[in-house]
Amino acid sequence: MITYILRRTATAVIVVIGVMLAIFAALHLVYPSPARAVLGLKATPQAVAAFNHTHGYDRPLWHQFLTYINQTVHLNFGESLKQNQSVGQLFKENAGRSALLSGVALVIAVLIAVPLGIAQAVKRNSIFDYTATGVSFFLYSWPIFFVCLVLIAVFSLKLNWLPFEASQATSVFGVVRDAKSMILPVSALVIVSVAAFSRYMRSSALDNLAQDYIKVARAKGLSERSVLFRHLTRNSSLPIITLVGLSLPDLLAGNLIVESVFNYQGLGLLFFTALGNEDYPILLAYTLVGAILVVIGNLVADIALTLADPRIRLI
Amino acid sequence: MAGEPILEIRNLRTEIELTSTVVHAVDGVDLYLNPGETLGVVGESGCGKSMTGLSIMRLLPPGGRVVGGEINFAGRNLIELGDDELRRIRGNDIAMVFQDSLTALNPTMTIGRQVAEPLRLHRHMAKAQAMARAVEVLDLVGIPRPTERLDDYPHQLSGGLRQRVLIAMALACEPKVLIADEPTTALDVTIQAQILELLDRLKAELGMAVMLITHDMGVVAGRADRINVMYAGKIVETSGTRELFEHMHHPYTQALLASIPQLDQDTSTRLFSIPGIPPDLADPPPGCRFAPRCRLATDHCRSNEPPLSGVTPGHLAACWYPVDGPLERPPAELPSQAIAANGSRPVLLEITDAVREFPVGNPLLPFLSPGSVKAVSGVSLVVREGETYGLVGESGCGKTTLGRMIVALEKPDGGKLRLKDTDIATLRGGRLRRTRRDLQMMFQDPYASLDPRMRVGNILSEPLVVQGIGDRRSRNARVAELLNEVGLPPNSVDRFPHEFSGGQRQRIGLARALILNPAVIVADEPVSALDVSIRSQVLNLMKRLQAEHNLTYIVISHDLAVVKYLSDRIGVMYLGRLVESGSGDDIYNRPAHPYTAGLVATIPIPDPSLERGKQIAAVRGELPSSINPPSGCRFRTRCPRAQQKCADEVPALRPFGPAHLAACHFPLQEPA
Repeated sequence: MITYILRRTATAVIVVIGVMLAIFAALHLVYPSPARAVLGLKATPQAVAAFNHTHGYDRPLWHQFLTYINQTVHLNFGESLKQNQSVGQLFKENAGRSALLSGVALVIAVLIAVPLGIAQAVKRNSIFDYTATGVSFFLYSWPIFFVCLVLIAVFSLKLNWLPFEASQATSVFGVVRDAKSMILPVSALVIVSVAAFSRYMRSSALDNLAQDYIKVARAKGLSERSVLFRHLTRNSSLPIITLVGLSLPDLLAGNLIVESVFNYQGLGLLFFTALGNEDYPILLAYTLVGAILVVIGNLVADIALTLADPRIRLI
Repeated sequence: MAGEPILEIRNLRTEIELTSTVVHAVDGVDLYLNPGETLGVVGESGCGKSMTGLSIMRLLPPGGRVVGGEINFAGRNLIELGDDELRRIRGNDIAMVFQDSLTALNPTMTIGRQVAEPLRLHRHMAKAQAMARAVEVLDLVGIPRPTERLDDYPHQLSGGLRQRVLIAMALACEPKVLIADEPTTALDVTIQAQILELLDRLKAELGMAVMLITHDMGVVAGRADRINVMYAGKIVETSGTRELFEHMHHPYTQALLASIPQLDQDTSTRLFSIPGIPPDLADPPPGCRFAPRCRLATDHCRSNEPPLSGVTPGHLAACWYPVDGPLERPPAELPSQAIAANGSRPVLLEITDAVREFPVGNPLLPFLSPGSVKAVSGVSLVVREGETYGLVGESGCGKTTLGRMIVALEKPDGGKLRLKDTDIATLRGGRLRRTRRDLQMMFQDPYASLDPRMRVGNILSEPLVVQGIGDRRSRNARVAELLNEVGLPPNSVDRFPHEFSGGQRQRIGLARALILNPAVIVADEPVSALDVSIRSQVLNLMKRLQAEHNLTYIVISHDLAVVKYLSDRIGVMYLGRLVESGSGDDIYNRPAHPYTAGLVATIPIPDPSLERGKQIAAVRGELPSSINPPSGCRFRTRCPRAQQKCADEVPALRPFGPAHLAACHFPLQEPA
C-alpha cells in the first residue's frame, strides 16, 4: 500500500512537471518577456534589455525553466502586475475561502446524491423516479451562472430571505460565522453537482441491484433496509469516488462563476479580475493550480478506490 | 420417504410483467418435496424451473409476481405470509444457492462476514459467536484452513471455493429446504463433481430436503431421488429417477434424452434433435405446449391440454399419447469417416513446441511483477486435412489460447505453427491478411460475437469484402447459398442478429466462418451456450457441413461428450501442456494419463445406473496457479500416482498405440 501511494505520487509529480513545461513553453512562444507590458509600449530597446537582464529573461531557456520550477516549489509565483502584492500572498489569502466554498458544496452534494440515486434505483420507473430524473435533467441543463441568477432573483430579490452577496469576511472563520450569506453560493454549486452525481449513482445502483449478491442478501432473510445499507450502498458508490476526484478541479472552475456572481473573495474571483486586467502571473499560477488539482483529484480518487474496493490490485 | 412433504406447491402460477406483454413463466405447477430427499427439476432455459424456485423464496425479478396457487411449508402458505414473516423463513428454514458464484457474493465484504450474516440475523448471535460458527460451516463445506479465509474477499477465491462459500452461507442456519438453482453450471466438471458430492453429503448430515434445479440430465441422474421435467411453464412429467430414464412417458423427456450426445455414442450417427424452439410464454399455444415440436402430435394435442396423469401416483405425465422408454438410436446416416484412413491424409496444420505467456503486472516495472501466466507451454500436435481435432481440459488449461494462436489472433512466444507450407507465427501485414482466409473461428457466445448493429447479410459478406473477393452480385449469391446450407431463410440477410434465437445465431456464426472456404475452423465452445435440444441441431449441422466440404475443425470444449461426438482425435490439455492425445476411444476407454482418466470419470452421465455405479476416483482439488506451475509433471499435485520422479522430470509424450500419446511417468497402461 505504502509503495503504491509513493509510486503514484511520483508519477503525479512527473505529470505536474510536464504541465509546467507545457505552460512555460506556451507562454514563452506568445509572450517571451513581460518588459513591454511593464515598461509600456514606448520603452526604449535599452530599457527593455536592461529589464530582461535584471529579471533573467535573457538567459538560456532551460535556465529560465529551472528558475520557474524553483520559484514554484518555493511558492513564489512572482508579483501581480496590477494588485501590488505577490501572487503567492494573494493565493494564500483567497485559497482558504475557495476551498471552504467548494468543500462544503461537494460534501453536501455527495450526501444528497448518494441516497437520492439509490432511492431512484430502488423505486425505478415510479413517479418519484421520473420526477427526480426530470428535475435533475432540467437543472443539469442550466449553465451555472443562470442557476446563480435564478437563486438570487427568487430568494433575495423576490422573497428577500437571503442576502445576494456572499460573505465578505476575510478569514475562513469569519465566513463560517456568516453562514446565512453563504447559503446561495453553496446551493448553486450543490445543485449543479447533485444533478450529475445522482444520475451516475442511479445507474450504478441499478447495475448493482441486478447482481445476484443482492438476491442472495434477500435470500438470507435480510430486510430491504439492511440489503440497501449493508450490501448496495458501498458497492454502488464506487464509481462516485472517481467522479468526485475528477470533479475537484471542476469545482474550482465553477467557483470562477459563482464567486464572481456573488462577489466572493476567492481564487475564482481573483482569476476573473486578473483576466480583465491581463495580470499574467496570476493567470499562470491559476492554470498551474488547476493542473495540480486535476492530478491530486485523480490521485486521491485512485487511492480512495483501492481502499474501498478490495478487488483493485495495487499495481 | 414416508410422511408429510415438507414443501408442497399447488397450482402455482407466476407471471412476469414486461413493458408490453405478460409472460406466464410458471403456469399451474404442482410439486412436493419430502424431508431428506433430492428433487430434480430439469428443463431448458425459459421453462420456468428457476422461476418456480424464486417464487418459493419470493425473489422474483422486477415485474414478477405469484398470481395464484399455494406454497405450503410447515403448515403455512408462504404466498399469504407478510414480508416480515417470510423473511424469518428465508435463509433460516429455506435457503437458496445460485449459479454464478462471482456475482452471488458481495465483492466488497469479507466471506466471514457474509457467512456470519444470516446467523446474526436469525440466531441473534454475537459477532464473535457468529464468526466461530462461520468457521465451522466453512469447514463443513470443505474449505481448507477456514479460519485464515474469514478475512478473504470473494475475488481472492477460485470458482469452486466461492461456490462452497455460497453453500456455506445457505447452510449456516441449517435450513430444512435447500433450493439449488444450477449450482454447478458455471464450474468445471472436476469441480462440479466435488460440489455435487458435497451437497449429497450435507443433505444426509443435516437431513435437508434439496430441490436441485438444472438443465443437465447427467447431474440429476446421479443425484436426484425424483425428477420433475418442465417444459414451457408446466411440469410435463414427474417420476422416480430410474423410472424416468428407463420408462419415460412424455415424448419431450424422451427427445431431450435422445438429443444429448453420449460417450458411447456412435459418432457416425446423427444426433436426435427436436425441431423448432420452445413457445413464447407471453402467448402460449393452446393444447399441449410441446405439440408443435412433437413427432407424435395430432390435432387433438393441438387443441386440448393434457392433464398430468398416470397409472401409478409416483409417475405422472401430461401427454395424450404417452410413450414408454427411451427412443431407439437412429441408424448411421452420415458417411462414416474411417479413422484408420486418417493416417494417410495430408497434414494440414503442424504445431511444434508452441509457447504463449502473458506477463502479469506493470510492464514498466518488471522487477515488481510476479512473473507471467504460462498459458501454453510447449504444445506440439498435428491436424490432418478433413479431420476434427478436439481439445479438452478444465478452464485455464490453455485450450482457448492455443485455439487463438492457430487462427493467428495470438502471436506465439516460441515454437512453430505451420499451415501447409507457411509458418503462421512469422506472417505479417498483407500475407497474414491473405492467410486469414484459411483460418476462421466460431465463437462461444452467440450474442456477443455478432455485431448487433449490422444486418446478417453484411455480417456474412464482410469477410469477402475485406479479402476483396468477388463483386456485389457474386457476394450476395454466396451469402444466399450459405444461408441455405446452414438452414436459415433467405430473407435473413435483411434482419439484425437480435431477431434470431441463440441456435440460429450460432448458425450465422458458422456461416460467417465458412464463407471464405477456410482450411481450418477453430470452434471455441460452439454449443455450450445453447440448450440441449438446440445443441444437437447445431452439432448435426457442423457434422453435415464437414462431410460435404471436407472441412477441418478444431473443436475446443469443456464438454467431453460433445468433443467425443465431433472429434476424430482428441487432445487433453492440463495447465498449458498436452498430456494425452489419441482417438476418442483411446481417451475414453483406454486412457493412459491419470488426469484423462479422472476427467472422464467426472463427466455426469445421463443414466442413473451408470452414474451411481461410478467407482473411479475423480480428479480432486483445484487447478494450481499457472504463474508458478508445479515442477516436472504439472498434474502431480493432484495425481494419486505421483512420486518423486514426477517433481524432478518433465514427462515426455510416449506412444501407447497407433496415434495414442500420453505424457506420464507412471501411466495407467504399459507404453507400446
